Amino acid sequence: MATLGDLERSVMSLLWEGDTSLSANDVRDQLGEDLAVTTVLTVLSRLEKKGLVRRERSTRPHRYTATASREEHTVEMLNEVLGTASDREAVLARFIGGVSEEEAAALRRILK
Amino acid sequence: MEFLALFLALLAFLLAVPVPRALSTARFRSRSPWSAMLLWQAIALAGGLSILGAPMTYGLAPFGESLPEAVAEVIRLMFAEDYTALAEREVHPTHIFALCFSVVMGGHLLLTLLRTYMRVLASRRRHRDLVRLLSTPVDGSPGADLGRHSGLGAQLDDAHVIEHDAPLAYCLPGRTYAGSVTVISRGLLDQLSEKELAAVVAHERTHLHQRHHLLTMAFDAWYRALPWLPTARHGREAVLELTEMLADDGALQHHSRDDLLRSLALSSPEEESKEAELSRHSSALITGVRLKRLIVPPQPLGRPAASGILSAAAALLLVPTGLLLTL
Repeated sequence: MATLGDLERSVMSLLWEGDTSLSANDVRDQLGEDLAVTTVLTVLSRLEKKGLVRRERSTRPHRYTATASREEHTVEMLNEVLGTASDREAVLARFIGGVSEEEAAALRRILK
Repeated sequence: MEFLALFLALLAFLLAVPVPRALSTARFRSRSPWSAMLLWQAIALAGGLSILGAPMTYGLAPFGESLPEAVAEVIRLMFAEDYTALAEREVHPTHIFALCFSVVMGGHLLLTLLRTYMRVLASRRRHRDLVRLLSTPVDGSPGADLGRHSGLGAQLDDAHVIEHDAPLAYCLPGRTYAGSVTVISRGLLDQLSEKELAAVVAHERTHLHQRHHLLTMAFDAWYRALPWLPTARHGREAVLELTEMLADDGALQHHSRDDLLRSLALSSPEEESKEAELSRHSSALITGVRLKRLIVPPQPLGRPAASGILSAAAALLLVPTGLLLTL
């Protein structure tokens, strides 16, 4: 039994990979799993609430697209990690990336 | 009470300016990061207490001999609108001002702490959502592509791999240890050997085990509440540096010094790379002191010195609290 989190991942991959918007039925068909459309709708509305998916309300049935590409989200995430001091509170001290070039060069010399 | 107010004001000044300045460069911190960390936490608490306590006790002085008595009297007079009593007690406007100041300041500090906490929780939740969607967990998913490290699954255990070339690793604390995630990038995975990777993951896991995110929280809040106070910034940086040292020590318990050092060196930016550009914006968490103690391990702090620091931390907390409560 796939958890909601797993389903969210699969749905996002679908939306990221395809260029077009998808309806809940499309998503269910493409996932190729034995899913109820209501489950897919639940997942989609959770993703919408998280700001990852946009719903087009002009059509019936509603169609869904990803708000940003996978790469854009990755960059957003890493900016939070490597970014300015003020928004680094969320993650705990990344391990690397803070060494100055001179220090890094000195380290490499020591270890060689 | 006026004497106590003077004492607290002096303490507040000492804890706001000279003490943090001295502590942020004190050499013993690399020999015993734990005791330095305790001292910092004590300073943050005692500093807050004395900054609020000084104006409060000064303002309350004309109203009574002891703290509870004076507070009760102020409340009674507020409702009674008894101006002659104010005159009899020789209440000066500065007393009123001091009282208002301590209330406003206390509210400001408390609200900032609360807001910092909520903000951090919200952005962590968002970040965790993204990690879950964008990365592959190492354990349990046969599709997890570990490149040449296919044998490493057990050691990396609950780490998540994110597809990015910049070599980096970090951890994201959750409400419980089980809800936390360690994230490593594809770039890191490609550059490090298995042993080095394991050392990196052990470092991150020490952060989570020792709950370093709670230790830095108060300092984030201090910095947010009083950003103009240079020591608020220094304190925050010093505490971050200490968490890194503590995490290094945790990693060294099961991994070799060389592996940890090599993982630092190999994953640091090469000149003119895109990654270097990314990381230049960040403040240096790998400070010279941290590197030095990895390369040349310092003598651990002796027992007398360590217990001296512990008693100083305890005294910082107990003396102002005790005075406020007993007077």
